[in-house]
Amino acid sequence: MREALRRASLGYLVLAATVVAYLVVYTSRLGRFPTSFDYLSILNTTLPLVFVAIGQSLVVLTGGIDLSVGGIVSVCVAVTASRVTGGVLSSYTWIVVIIAMGAACGAVNGLIVAYGRIAPILTTLATLSIFSGLALWVLPVPGGSIPPEVRLVLTNPGTPTGLIWLGLAVVGWLVLRRTRFGMRVYAVGSDESSARAVGVPAAAVKLKVYALSGLCSALAAVFYVSTTTAGDANAGNPFILTSIASVVVGGVAFSGGRGSALGAVAGAVALTLVIDILFFSGIDPLYQSLFQGLFLVVAVLLGTVAALVARRRRLA
Amino acid sequence: MSTRRVLYALAGTVAVLLIGAILHPGFASWSSLRVMLVVASFTGFVAAGQMLVVLVGGIDLSIPWVLNGAAIVLTTSSLGQTSRAPLAIVLALGVGALVGLGNGMGVAWLGVPAVVMTLGMNGVMQGLTLGLSKGLTCASCGSYAPAPLRGLFDGALPAQLFLWAGVGLFMTVLLTLTTFGRRVYAVGVNPRAAFLSGVGVRGVTVALYTLSGVFAALAGIALVAYGGQPSLGLGDPYLFESIAAVVVGGVSILGGRGHYLGVIAGSLTLVAVTTFLQAQRVPEYGRLMIYGLVILTILFAYGREKAHD
Repeated sequence: MREALRRASLGYLVLAATVVAYLVVYTSRLGRFPTSFDYLSILNTTLPLVFVAIGQSLVVLTGGIDLSVGGIVSVCVAVTASRVTGGVLSSYTWIVVIIAMGAACGAVNGLIVAYGRIAPILTTLATLSIFSGLALWVLPVPGGSIPPEVRLVLTNPGTPTGLIWLGLAVVGWLVLRRTRFGMRVYAVGSDESSARAVGVPAAAVKLKVYALSGLCSALAAVFYVSTTTAGDANAGNPFILTSIASVVVGGVAFSGGRGSALGAVAGAVALTLVIDILFFSGIDPLYQSLFQGLFLVVAVLLGTVAALVARRRRLA
Repeated sequence: MSTRRVLYALAGTVAVLLIGAILHPGFASWSSLRVMLVVASFTGFVAAGQMLVVLVGGIDLSIPWVLNGAAIVLTTSSLGQTSRAPLAIVLALGVGALVGLGNGMGVAWLGVPAVVMTLGMNGVMQGLTLGLSKGLTCASCGSYAPAPLRGLFDGALPAQLFLWAGVGLFMTVLLTLTTFGRRVYAVGVNPRAAFLSGVGVRGVTVALYTLSGVFAALAGIALVAYGGQPSLGLGDPYLFESIAAVVVGGVSILGGRGHYLGVIAGSLTLVAVTTFLQAQRVPEYGRLMIYGLVILTILFAYGREKAHD
């Protein structure tokens, strides 16, 4: 339990450190505190990654990995940008359809992983290609739009409606982890054969986890189009690596069974903030990925060092 | 068991080539086969490195920008002059080795998970490559690869294919005839047991990641020699392609099983599928979907894990 707490808190510590760094860099650069506009734009640009990271963390908690999030986000972005254009009613109907579509894509992954017994990294590598193809088919050239009414509800550029969605995601996770399904996710991730032995339907749990990951990717896609007001069939690609990075920074163990989706949310926000920090500290944007890479490795190293110190203290 | 998987991989290649030849006359002619072999050799190079780390249960996600960085180092240090070519090649391979060494140290000594270490390193290399070459706008960035390197692809039997055969020989000898090779499989099957029986697990791991960096750099050199000039994002397609080639080649993603001969077959299968779809004028979205379906089919044929019960 203490171990779980320590792992989860790594994400919050990293987030706290990046927030402080952001405030310091911002105020020293511009001579004033960030305005509500700054906070709002951070919130809205983070939302898509937050959702993908939640889905990814669920999969990683069962000991898997989902590379196809990139493809699912892409295909859902393509459908959102090209179909959610008409009246309010048809827009919301389409959004529901898109969310169902994301879950269905995820369920395909789940079926292949759980019942086809193909390693998650390989399954999702293959389906990534399939979903990316679908996205390109739906939206061959970047473009599309989203009605302003929908945008005002999802990522309002004037008021923090994004906070509602972020809050719902956090509450959703807190409820989920206390359900029987939530317990089973951890059980499968900690030790699959033991979980099976005590009657946990591991295959069904995995199927649901991948479906949920797909659903999260679909939500991310809707928020993505709402923030950028246009779509691109390759929009999802960056999310593959950034969602994995968020999960890692958030302290979710790759071996499965340890960590929390909230840690991944913290990781996602921290990763987005790092870009702003680099921007405000006047670093050449060409070097951006250098610092993101270092940030990733250092954050994980800190976690390892903390674990070593804790173990030594316990032994002493 | 793992020899059988090599046979499956070879059978897969033959099947794809046969289907191609039936549906598209001339597909399996030597001139078309030669082009496919050359294109597959690039995948074969990166997949050699990827295979080595996969054999010990690791993964190398830093391949794209190690490849790209090495390609740019080659042209900017050689400036297209033949006399500077040897130095430039050593430099480019050295960059790959250094990055691989860094990956290996991080994984073996600092205990950073391979996914994280190599993902972070990919970012570091991307930043360094973009930053130092100023987004490939630096004064020497417009240089071409030296002429002898570009000659690798001339003739009816391009030298590049002999280079690939050399890599194949090196990999096969290294993995099947040396003690080092035995140790690699031992670590892949069970690192703990290997450690207890006296294998320097950390040393082996570091060596493998270093080799992976070298192979990625080699692919970078070959690609820039093929295209003449480097570009940004040159290595991006090779990340997932290298993993796919390794797995289609019958190497277990869990480590400990597989042969490079299978990976050669795997690389060729992937390129044959893409070439065939291009020859049939299948649009890009269709190519992507069919490519994914083919990988899935192959995985279902011989890439499944054991049943639990």
